[in-house]
Amino acid sequence: MRVCLPIVFLLNLLLNGVAISQDYDFDIPEEEEEAVIAFNGNLDAKWGILKAQEESPLYRLNFFNTDNDDTYLSQYRLDFYFNGEYRHKQVGFFMKSFYQYTKEGPIDPTFFELYGSLNLTPKLSAGLGKRRYFWGKGYAFNPVGYVNAEKDPENPDLALTGIVSGYFNYNKSYNSAWLQNMSFSGLILPQEAEFNEKFASAGNTGLALKLYFLLRNIDIDFMMFQRKDEPQRYGLDFSTNVKTNLEIHGEVSYDRDDTKAFVQNDDIQQRKISGASYLFGIRYLTKQNTTIIAEYYHNNRGLYKSEFGEVLSFILNRVDSGNTLLVIQTRIDFTNQFRTRTFMRDYAYVKLSQPEPFGWLYSSINAFTIYNLNDNSFTLSAQLGYKPFTNFEFLLWPTLFFGNDVSEYGSKQFARRVEAWLRFFF
Amino acid sequence: MIRYKWLFSVLSLTLFSSGFSQDANEILKKADEKLLPESFESYRKLINEEPDGSKKEFIFYSVKKGKDNVAMLYLSPASDKGRSTLRKGDNMWLYIPNVGRPIRITSLQSVVGGVFNNSDIMRLDYSVEYDAAFNEKTDSQYILDLTARTASVAYDKLKMWVDKKTLLVEKVECYAASGTLIKTLEFKEIKDFGNGLVRPAVIETTSPLYKGFRSVLIYSKLKLRKFPDEVFTLDYIPRLGELR
Repeated sequence: MRVCLPIVFLLNLLLNGVAISQDYDFDIPEEEEEAVIAFNGNLDAKWGILKAQEESPLYRLNFFNTDNDDTYLSQYRLDFYFNGEYRHKQVGFFMKSFYQYTKEGPIDPTFFELYGSLNLTPKLSAGLGKRRYFWGKGYAFNPVGYVNAEKDPENPDLALTGIVSGYFNYNKSYNSAWLQNMSFSGLILPQEAEFNEKFASAGNTGLALKLYFLLRNIDIDFMMFQRKDEPQRYGLDFSTNVKTNLEIHGEVSYDRDDTKAFVQNDDIQQRKISGASYLFGIRYLTKQNTTIIAEYYHNNRGLYKSEFGEVLSFILNRVDSGNTLLVIQTRIDFTNQFRTRTFMRDYAYVKLSQPEPFGWLYSSINAFTIYNLNDNSFTLSAQLGYKPFTNFEFLLWPTLFFGNDVSEYGSKQFARRVEAWLRFFF
Repeated sequence: MIRYKWLFSVLSLTLFSSGFSQDANEILKKADEKLLPESFESYRKLINEEPDGSKKEFIFYSVKKGKDNVAMLYLSPASDKGRSTLRKGDNMWLYIPNVGRPIRITSLQSVVGGVFNNSDIMRLDYSVEYDAAFNEKTDSQYILDLTARTASVAYDKLKMWVDKKTLLVEKVECYAASGTLIKTLEFKEIKDFGNGLVRPAVIETTSPLYKGFRSVLIYSKLKLRKFPDEVFTLDYIPRLGELR
């Protein structure tokens, strides 16, 4: 026993010593492999309680002839995001897919991205397929996002679908105090299939160009978009840190012969307009580590207050007719003609983000409001996040809408909602 | 004559102190060269330890070129994989794959939580951001007082301990303008990375403002490597993984 004790002690010392030195070693993922194949994604399990506004024209349109008597509705869904990539030297293939489960039945994938890329050098890259682009500097709105999917200002970070395109990028750095970097992006945009689900007119191929400069400490982009029978768009954006804790950004887009939908003579009509949409914003970090994002957005295509009231009256008239076919057609027309997250002309957006408030570890609070400056309606929302384990997140997300019956946020089909999200990453 | 003596004394003092200060800046430059070579790549693991003993770990692939170009790609955990950050001098951007475009961030923020902030993890050469003067010389160490050259630097003052023989940084204390100690960095585990690169492999950080928290940054596979300037651009951030 006496002999054993020193041996145990030595073994213990040796093992502990090894353990200490191993603390400073770590495995490096996918290191030095010739070709990289990688998959990742996340599963979001979402459960929500929503309070219906039964008198809202939009509720009556969307829930026409349904058997629901309950003011409070619940919604359960599983959102599954599955991403894959294959890279071998200069060649890459990328996929981002999305699946939503709401009830038993076949689930079709939506491909947010599906493209191949050829990265010849750090200066030159090109690719072909369905790809997402993110033009603009705004957080909640992007008037110069000509090739972006439209953001949902209530959830600007939500993954969105891409656009079928061929792209070419050229990027060059300069050893100059003024111009430090310049890049050029050119996009060819084939028209989506129009006939027999496979063909489209070659003459409808679009073109989008972007020129970027890092000029001293300012990011500046100039962009344009052109396609037959669509508005011509010319824009610029900028972003810079004016202080270590204060960033400012802006976007301006001039759109010629844009199409504006409106209601006249009890019907949805269109007219051509030209003019500018723009956005200005700041991102500010306080001493308490709170990030404040504030933005003002002017939407030139948006409806005036009276025009929005006419849209609601039009929907009510159609629903009150009781004609099922007419209501279904109205639902389709409304979705097609007013396919936007921002119906009206002027919005203010303010978001406050606080990591680990009150010293609560792994938690975060975000609160934001979107205020319609034309009819004084608004939404208030808060996101309470908690990440107790690696690759797991819990979100509690209440949202309230305020405004009178003929206002944008006051006429939403739901007056309030609370969602709980469980997110698993892999 | 007395007037000339005065003039002589003032001139001597000015020249001496400026020479002294220049000497301190030389030492700072050499300490920088030991810590961060001109152009290199490395893998780093960041461990954030909480007061309850729990840990959060991140692994990054980092590249640096020149005095003010740093880029970093998150390799794990899965929830952060694919994120990358770019620093060009005072400019700092964060790229999140879902957001899709780089957004400007500040050096004061922490994108990973814990005691390290962005400027600690995406650090430039100390001599780029600070002016050095001697505080004290011991038999084995130079103790330097560093003052921020511009207001955009994360900490107003630093106190740095440098080993006289190896010129390796051993400890840095970071202070606010008010003189409040914000955090202490301790450089440990001297390691030979090859090609003459001998430097601390571990940096431990504690802060009186975050009692009980500790962050540890571990370097691995630090290698000299040349990069084109275009690697350190917004266009290239999403492609950073191609360098591995």
